[in-house]
Amino acid sequence: MIKVKNLHKSFGKLEVLSGIDEHIKQGEVVVVIGPSGSGKSTFLRCLNLLETPTDGEIYIDDELINAPKVNVNRIRQKMGMVFQQFNLFPHLTIMNNITLAPMQIKKMSKQDAVALGTKLLDRVGLLDKADAYPAQLSGGQKQRVAIARALAMEPEIMLFDEPTSALDPEMVGEVLDVMKSLARDGMTMVVVTHEMGFAREVGSRVLFMDQGQILEQADPVQLFTNPQHERTQAFLSKVL
Amino acid sequence: MHWFYNWFDGIKSDFILNFITENRYMYIVRGFGVTIKVSLLSVLIGILIGVFIALAALSKNKILKTVSRWYTDIIRGTPAVTQLLIVYFVIFGSSRLDKWIIASIAFGINSGAYVSEIIRAGIQSVDHGQVEAGRSLGLSGAQTMIKIVIPQAVKNIFPALVNEFIVLIKETAIVGFIGLEDLAKGGDFIRSRTYSAFMPLVGTALIYFLLIKVLTKVFTLLEKRLRKSEIR
Repeated sequence: MIKVKNLHKSFGKLEVLSGIDEHIKQGEVVVVIGPSGSGKSTFLRCLNLLETPTDGEIYIDDELINAPKVNVNRIRQKMGMVFQQFNLFPHLTIMNNITLAPMQIKKMSKQDAVALGTKLLDRVGLLDKADAYPAQLSGGQKQRVAIARALAMEPEIMLFDEPTSALDPEMVGEVLDVMKSLARDGMTMVVVTHEMGFAREVGSRVLFMDQGQILEQADPVQLFTNPQHERTQAFLSKVL
Repeated sequence: MHWFYNWFDGIKSDFILNFITENRYMYIVRGFGVTIKVSLLSVLIGILIGVFIALAALSKNKILKTVSRWYTDIIRGTPAVTQLLIVYFVIFGSSRLDKWIIASIAFGINSGAYVSEIIRAGIQSVDHGQVEAGRSLGLSGAQTMIKIVIPQAVKNIFPALVNEFIVLIKETAIVGFIGLEDLAKGGDFIRSRTYSAFMPLVGTALIYFLLIKVLTKVFTLLEKRLRKSEIR
């Protein structure tokens, strides 16, 4: 589903990604962990071209997406993204946050979009907040809305960029629960996170990144109990 | 109380002389109409130019960027009266366009430079995460701008824009320089006919003041509605 070949990304002279090769299959939940500054987020943001790769190739459904003539907007519709800072649209109600993209992009009727929005809000347990504005919600609620908003475009892949890092500890659970239910339904997910519990519980694969490279990858049990690389061992000994 | 009646009688005859005799109030009424016409069209042209120049300033195109920077530099660096005279006598020197339209174009060109700076700052004040969220959903750059960034920018810049419009309305008082009879000119014309300065000039000032007071009130109500989404 996602194939990444020799991906490089530099910001000026600073090389953030130095050669990533990765193949993510349909239905996989791939969790990316690693110290800050290791390039996890940049890797994720390259997948939907929020960052333009300096070099290398990214294929989504066997289509090279970082070629010059590709319609970036069409590619991005296949991928939902959830941000650390939620990035809800503060001037729109919760319902309009969700219905905006389907109505604008898919030309869905208002009625159909609201029906879809209702279904999604129900799914993340926030149906009663449909007419509220983002400023009236807690962090956890905002992030659940952000997930619903991304799902409204019916993406094939969901990308999560540290979705719980900006939350108060007691709100982390509600967001992870929504993510777990997505994973159970077979959504292909790439999750950058510091939630090792989540990685262990629902990850099909865990990638450990450091200094712009994937140093080690394995299924969660193996990676957490028996890390091979010494930097992985050092990292895990600090966070577990 | 005798002095009061004397004073009041003085005011009253002054009022009659300046506004009632020979229907002189009509200078004020017609002038007010011109001021409103010019102000409205100027604001409209100013917003159009302002949006365009702001987008040019924020675009990646070097030529557009340069053009927009020169535009704001030149307009801000020269007096409005001179700009008005240049537009009227040089650019539209041989044109038969109505004076008030030419004046509006001149004020629009002037206001556009200030409006563009306000809009540019407003657009830049919207968190970049908003753009990323919009684009990540698959919205185009233009859709993101129109549906997500501009509505938030408008809310942020609303007070500054209102301020600019108020300045613009008062600025139109210089149209007398090209012989257009607006409110200010009307008041001054009465003064030149009656040789009494207090009543026509203070009267004119009062009308400007009331106009702007009412507008400010309306804009304040509008702003409250715009801020609805911030209520917690």
